[in-house]
Amino acid sequence: MKTENEHESVELVDGAVVRQFARAALLAALMGAAVVATIPYPLSPAPVTLQVLVVFLAGLYLGPLWGAASIGLYLAAGAAGAPVFSGMTGGPGVLLSEPTAGFLWTFPIAALVVGLVVHRGLALRDPADVPLATVVAGLTAGLILTYVGGTSWFAWLIGTSLTEAAVAVAIPFVPADLLKMAAAIVIVRSGAIDTV
Amino acid sequence: MIEFRSVTYGFDDVPVLADVSLTLADGEFVVLAGANGSGKTTLLRHCNGLLDPDSGTVLVDGRSVAENPVAARTNVGMVFQHPRDQFVAATVGADVAFGPENLGLAREEIDRRVETALEAVNMTGRNAERIDSLSGGEQSRVAIAGALAMDPTHLVLDEPFTGLDEPARRSVVERLEALSRSGTGIVVATHDLRDVVGLADRVIAMQDGQVAVDTPPEQGLEGLETLGIRVPEVVSGLE
Amino acid sequence: MLPYEPDDTLAHRLDPRSKLAVQMGFAIAALSHTTPGALLACTLLTGAIMVTTRVPLGRTLAAYRVALVVLVAGPLVTTLSLGSPWLDPSEGVGPALASYRALLVLLVSAAYVRSTPVRDSRAAIQRTIPGKPGRLLGAGIALVFRFLPVLRADLRTIREAMAARLGTERSALERASTTGVLGLSRAFTRADRLALAMQARCFSWNPTLPTLSFSRVDVPAFALAGALVLSVLL
Repeated sequence: MKTENEHESVELVDGAVVRQFARAALLAALMGAAVVATIPYPLSPAPVTLQVLVVFLAGLYLGPLWGAASIGLYLAAGAAGAPVFSGMTGGPGVLLSEPTAGFLWTFPIAALVVGLVVHRGLALRDPADVPLATVVAGLTAGLILTYVGGTSWFAWLIGTSLTEAAVAVAIPFVPADLLKMAAAIVIVRSGAIDTV
Repeated sequence: MIEFRSVTYGFDDVPVLADVSLTLADGEFVVLAGANGSGKTTLLRHCNGLLDPDSGTVLVDGRSVAENPVAARTNVGMVFQHPRDQFVAATVGADVAFGPENLGLAREEIDRRVETALEAVNMTGRNAERIDSLSGGEQSRVAIAGALAMDPTHLVLDEPFTGLDEPARRSVVERLEALSRSGTGIVVATHDLRDVVGLADRVIAMQDGQVAVDTPPEQGLEGLETLGIRVPEVVSGLE
Repeated sequence: MLPYEPDDTLAHRLDPRSKLAVQMGFAIAALSHTTPGALLACTLLTGAIMVTTRVPLGRTLAAYRVALVVLVAGPLVTTLSLGSPWLDPSEGVGPALASYRALLVLLVSAAYVRSTPVRDSRAAIQRTIPGKPGRLLGAGIALVFRFLPVLRADLRTIREAMAARLGTERSALERASTTGVLGLSRAFTRADRLALAMQARCFSWNPTLPTLSFSRVDVPAFALAGALVLSVLL
């Protein structure tokens, strides 16, 4: 028999928070799994993954806060050693000195921006009901941000000019990223996924 | 003891539970039967406050579940369908420790509860194993251990046999029988009675959000077939 | 990929927080110096860390091959120019040294991963970041490790199902969007079940924290980390 006040100090996490948190954690795991979901792409020395698509989906379906938290969680798990970065690597050093880590650092901000533009604030709405132009604007802003982050990091780390950096890590990937943007739009218009 | 007093609950004005009153005593082995959509799952989720009734009250050991969710969740351990999606850690020991850690217990007490819970499901000494490497039946048993680590008086299982093969089902049933013998109240929701009816003290059948049948299994299970519940031959033959 | 491996090296006995401090200190020191002398010192330190942690060099380099390609490509790009002399190797020296120090940081990081189990990293985060963010971060990292193999299997199933239905003839767009829809809806279905199970097990803001304790071996590790950070002033 339990005493009256045995667990009085336990502060339960609110059910709505648990639900968003679980979705954010699983989307972070999906982001990690997507590192092996590659599409063949001739312009790149490394296979092109669907990770940018997952960043888009984070902003679209989890909104700005949980979307950014989800991608942040992905980075934290990778830093803790989960094999979720390109080439299935992990560890804190990847975030500190990988030549393309600038993309990684900008991903949570991109999810935040996509979420803010599409949901027009912190309350979630169904992306299928959002005007197409707004969705495109949000995704474009997010994508440009990742290019800015990825290019400037590379230029700083390796000591190249911004143009050289863009030639090395951004420009070759534009067509592939536009494809992922189109895929995100197809997904939104299909209305197949619900927000909480 | 779990008590439902005139519990009504609905989604979008469609009643899922309609004025259900029911008492589940300590130590009882109850089989909750009913077709899909009969309200079994919804009823169970009221036992630990995952759902709150629109009207009426649910009490666990005399205390309102809505007002004391922590007490309800520690006294009523719950295991859902799809055990694979219920684990919070990659290894067995770390997962079973999740409940007692949430209660803020001392580390020694947590370790003791993990050992006891794993022993109760025949998984002693397998703390370090990866959950992903376990068979379906083993995963079900670890999920049960995760609930037992809360030290509950009741263990509630929603369709625990879905997707399990015959030996795996038997290993789970065997553990439920042992837990029941040691005094834990067991509630198993299922649409298929064959695995558990032999252990039941009581069979409750739901239909359209109401209790349609509430009987010891040795009396009158013949009405259950009409409710879309599979009644095993061997039991029908007992009458 | 080179996961955590149980062992009894010095690094395995260190508290994860002191290992993270060394990692950060090393990255700061390496990334703020490009002189050959400093890089030699960093190389020797990296070698010492790798040997004491028993990190296999060949397998580690193979694991980081994607990063290596970019680290080599970067300096090469800078040697090219859109006009005479078209190719100027001297332009590439600075970037090549910069690439090299980045590689050293990756190797030190491999030592962290090999010597640190998830629960230690998680404990370090939960004990360092206070309050609700630390709680969610700690629990979330455990969930990512738990569900990574599950969702990888989901994506594999989706790919195989697409291939079985004439998938190779589908457009890249159709494949990407189908993978996205199916992958995310499965992940969310699992998440909704997980959320119920976590609530049933009293998921709380104030759980018992994972145990961690510093020992005497952590003192020199922190001293090393401090010295590395101070080397920026040299």
